Amino acid sequence: MTTALHPLVKRFLDGELRLAALPTELHAEARLAERLLGAVDRAPVTLPGLESRVMAEVRRRARVPARRWWQRLGDPWEIRVRLRPWILAPALAAAAALVLFLTRSQPTAGPVAVAAPESVFVRFVLYAPGAHRVSVAGSFNQWDATAAPLAPSGAAGVWTATVAVPVGQHQYAFLVDGRRWVSDPGAPTVDDGFGRRNSVVSVAAAGARAL
Amino acid sequence: MSGALVFATLGVLLAPLGVTAQQPVAGRLSGHVDASVIAAVSALADSAAARGLPIDPLVEKAIEGGAKAAPSERIVAAVQAVFARLGRAQQALQAATNQPTTPDVIAAGAFALSAGLQDSDVRNVARACGAHCSPAAALRVAGTLAALGVPPAETVELVRETLRAGGHDRDVVALPVRVEAQVARGATPAQAAAGLARAAAAGAPGHPKSPDQGPNPIKP
Repeated sequence: MTTALHPLVKRFLDGELRLAALPTELHAEARLAERLLGAVDRAPVTLPGLESRVMAEVRRRARVPARRWWQRLGDPWEIRVRLRPWILAPALAAAAALVLFLTRSQPTAGPVAVAAPESVFVRFVLYAPGAHRVSVAGSFNQWDATAAPLAPSGAAGVWTATVAVPVGQHQYAFLVDGRRWVSDPGAPTVDDGFGRRNSVVSVAAAGARAL
Repeated sequence: MSGALVFATLGVLLAPLGVTAQQPVAGRLSGHVDASVIAAVSALADSAAARGLPIDPLVEKAIEGGAKAAPSERIVAAVQAVFARLGRAQQALQAATNQPTTPDVIAAGAFALSAGLQDSDVRNVARACGAHCSPAAALRVAGTLAALGVPPAETVELVRETLRAGGHDRDVVALPVRVEAQVARGATPAQAAAGLARAAAAGAPGHPKSPDQGPNPIKP
């Protein structure tokens, strides 16, 4: 069973009020509470061997490496950085030099993009009398039959196109009327793996290794 | 931090590493061939990458098959044939040089095989090249000569004699045009190649220097 003390009695027990400051009707309650509180044993509780047992357990857990590493992963890390202001200047200069070096050694789009594959204009000619449409497709244009249409030239049945072809070796074929693949009769050919033959063109740039 | 969270985080961080080899292939093939071909070519590309073989010839052959409206199984078969040639070229080149070869040289060797040369021809061209020329260029020239109709033996001999006579890359690269010029005068491809090889071996004046024919061959 519990009994709630009057708030003024609580303040008396806390030492905030003197007994004389309390109303007369609370004096008896205050004295009773004071007597009860005085009977309480306020000596600190001691548990024999507790500290040694706790520390032994801590040391045992700390001895397991996996647990230690796992705990390090989960625990927040405190990183302290102490900088002298005069160090910042050379550090910033070194960082700027590194950025300049990286941006210069890796060409990007624009005037410095000299590493892009060089292309050479190649003139393709096919004699295909009676054809309505002719185009050339190959490894230089992802075999896109719409990318490089040939146009009729002055002579009857002669179709031509001039196409920018990247330097290197390419295979190609003509597509006549959108359904018939024809190899170039004026170029070497190889088996295309699909029952037909591809023509081969090797494009070299001036001053560069061809093929 | 819970264990599940740690593993989930690691999984998210590491997952892209496992798919980078395959994703570009699928992306390049998307819209060109159907899903079954993409899956098959992606698997072949993974195998090729693991063996140090170039991937581009596989992708290009699949795109070519799609452009030519070839059936899916035909496209996969053609890509498998390219894969096989790349592997043969790699073995032949390693046997010739006892060194790892670059993807560019392997692709050139595979082209030479597709043009009709044998593994031993690829090996002999690479050996003839040695340190004096670009093996990729020599192999592409050899393949082009074979595609012009020069028999394998005469092809290897012509490249070898040109290099033995002190020729450089530009001399080797000029060989197909010189053979074509001889054929235009009435020789067969074999006769043209044999004649040029004899001239190089004899150290005839002007050999192996090629005539000034301009930097850019125009086809046809």
